[in-house]
Amino acid sequence: MNVSRREFTRIGCRIIIGAAAGTAVVESIVTNSAAKENPPKGGYDWNEHFWGYLVDTRKCIGCGRCANACKLENEVPFDEPVYRTWVERYRIIKKEREEEVIIDSPNGSIDGFVDDIPDEEIKKAFYVPKICNHCENPPCVQVCPVGATYTTEDGVVLVDYDYCIGCRYCIQGCPYGARYFNTEKGTADKCTWCYHRITKGLLPACVQACPVGARVFGDLNDPESAVNKVLDIERINVLKPDLGTKPKVYYVGLDREVR
Amino acid sequence: MQPHLKRALMLLAIAIIGFIAVRSLIVPDSFGQYGWYRGDSVIENRNFPVEHAGSNSCGEENCHKTIYTIWSGSGHKAVNCETCHGPSEKHVNNIRIMPPPADDSKEYCGLCHFKRAARPEKFPQIDPETHGQNLKCAYCHNPHKPWFI
Repeated sequence: MNVSRREFTRIGCRIIIGAAAGTAVVESIVTNSAAKENPPKGGYDWNEHFWGYLVDTRKCIGCGRCANACKLENEVPFDEPVYRTWVERYRIIKKEREEEVIIDSPNGSIDGFVDDIPDEEIKKAFYVPKICNHCENPPCVQVCPVGATYTTEDGVVLVDYDYCIGCRYCIQGCPYGARYFNTEKGTADKCTWCYHRITKGLLPACVQACPVGARVFGDLNDPESAVNKVLDIERINVLKPDLGTKPKVYYVGLDREVR
Repeated sequence: MQPHLKRALMLLAIAIIGFIAVRSLIVPDSFGQYGWYRGDSVIENRNFPVEHAGSNSCGEENCHKTIYTIWSGSGHKAVNCETCHGPSEKHVNNIRIMPPPADDSKEYCGLCHFKRAARPEKFPQIDPETHGQNLKCAYCHNPHKPWFI
């Protein structure tokens, strides 16, 4: 056999590209059809839902009942400074010509907030509840080396607590700081939108606990859902839209200082 | 075929078969069922225990019907029972398991109602220095049917 170097490289490249493309196509067909046609059993079809979350920062009173309920619902280590959801306080201080922004969240807001700056010095102040954004394009899922975190068909980013090796790369990868290391489980952990509740027709614990309706949860597929009713009329923003993560936690009344 | 090539191919074949064998032992059965993750994990995530039962289950079956009726017509109707009384799914399933008593301290009411700069202005707030002295809020206000709202 007499093949020139150029010819060899050309054929080699074609074979490699062809094989890679073929595998990808076959894999996508196999996995997608399984997820669509043979969803996990148990009286809930994940093809019928696509969940979304909405936060109205104008309503939040910073009572921290959401963060408290979340910890109790999901067995988040109660005395450690780790949170699946928390409330941040933004205070913009009066300065000549420029502004100083003070952001804090003592114990994730669970013990409430204390005013330690005189009212006269504050230009404006507000609370911003934070939670996993369940991005459509999640960096945390991309960086997991073992496939222990994934997006379900109904749009929820979950952790496989048996398969996670605890490398914490996902915690570094999340631009919203929504993940933490659970020392009791020895794995990464995060908000699941209370997947064990929403698949039974209940609301996430934080949404149920909120006394002012600042947190709204619902099915984006359903035009009559609580989330869509607000999305239809309000002006919406998401956190860090420039990152292209496509968050599914929508914010009403977001200040430009909120990141 | 030359013997050294044969040997190399044999080694390669053994390596590939060995890899496939070890992989099939290590990788869980449901891995790749829906995507690049363990399919069984979805069910495991669904099966975590529910802790908060929701206010409706308090009013059902005449358990706490009276207080439920008062509360659901009051200004506090948006405040879920378990927001103050604690997660109660275990209590709903077995009435012998009692949730911890509700915190009725002034500080607990203050989590929502103490004057704070960052709160929406229209939200009812009091200054704990000038309002109510050292009394518990519930001394004057019924938490299930508060005034002025």
